[in-house]
Amino acid sequence: MNPETEKTLTFFGKMTANLTHEVKNVLAIIQESAGLMEDITAICPLTEKKYQEKFNRSMATIKQQLHRGIDLTTQFNRFAHTPDRASAELNLVDTVGQFCLLTERFARLKHIGLTAGEPPANERIRLTTNPVQFYMALFFSLESCLTALPADTEIRITPQKKGGKSPAIEYACTGDHLPPAEEFFQQLQAADAWSELREMIGQLQGEVECDTNDLRFWLIF
Amino acid sequence: MSDPTAILLVDDEEEFVSTLAERLEIRGFESKAAYSGDQALSLIESNDYDVVVLDVKMPGMDGLEVMNHIKARRPEMPVILLTGHGSTKEGMEGMHKGAFDYLMKPLDIDELISKVQEALGSQPKSE
Repeated sequence: MNPETEKTLTFFGKMTANLTHEVKNVLAIIQESAGLMEDITAICPLTEKKYQEKFNRSMATIKQQLHRGIDLTTQFNRFAHTPDRASAELNLVDTVGQFCLLTERFARLKHIGLTAGEPPANERIRLTTNPVQFYMALFFSLESCLTALPADTEIRITPQKKGGKSPAIEYACTGDHLPPAEEFFQQLQAADAWSELREMIGQLQGEVECDTNDLRFWLIF
Repeated sequence: MSDPTAILLVDDEEEFVSTLAERLEIRGFESKAAYSGDQALSLIESNDYDVVVLDVKMPGMDGLEVMNHIKARRPEMPVILLTGHGSTKEGMEGMHKGAFDYLMKPLDIDELISKVQEALGSQPKSE
């Protein structure tokens, strides 16, 4: 990555990290204010039961959405710090989990499910790499899958050790409406994002391996 | 009946800290909100608090600096730090410098109360 690009990414990272910190402060205020309302109605419930029930339901939704917002901003704050270092040791289980949380909406818009898979026996898989480029490789892989898959299918991204030793990321596509493997890989490889992935994986000194029988492929490092 | 536990809450986010203070009052604590490090130090000069809950990131004097001043004046006073969610590094650094523990914002009030009680249990009551 050239120094100008690095500078730009660092700038965007700093601005984004600052903003997510501010958003968390907003969420903290909403959380405490909602909590205070709940405390007050616990001491002095509303006179009509049906309104108290509506209040409780509404409060439950606020709390649920607050947790969602806190989760998203926490993960996005971490993501915003990725340009801080040109090389870092990544815990691939955490990284894939974070990636799926932040990109799930791209899949949802196409009615495709996205989940982070667990490696066997909760294995710890670590990789020292350029974090931004690694995220980009994950994203280009996802984008390629989203181009090649129809609605009502599922993408599962799982960190694992390929051949028992090389850190790898598996993309496995499942569902009742899957296209034939040949068609899937044709569309996958025709996607613009796939060319970007090839270039990025080369820069990361990794490789892509496809299982043409089972709609799976791996990024191997 | 024993005196209620007195907590000093320090954060520049006024809405956050004043609402948290109200919620602690409802739960039987005596709580006071301070909106800057300077205000916190001046309150500590003239009042007795059992625990200080202190945000790390504040404009002017930051939380770790405020804690250093508190520890110089009242070494026995337990300090619980508040850090941004996911910022474990600042919390760990604070613990090395004498904080009892740290919590991440936005926080869970029950977790805060249990941390306060833990902090009180670990400290000899000052005269």
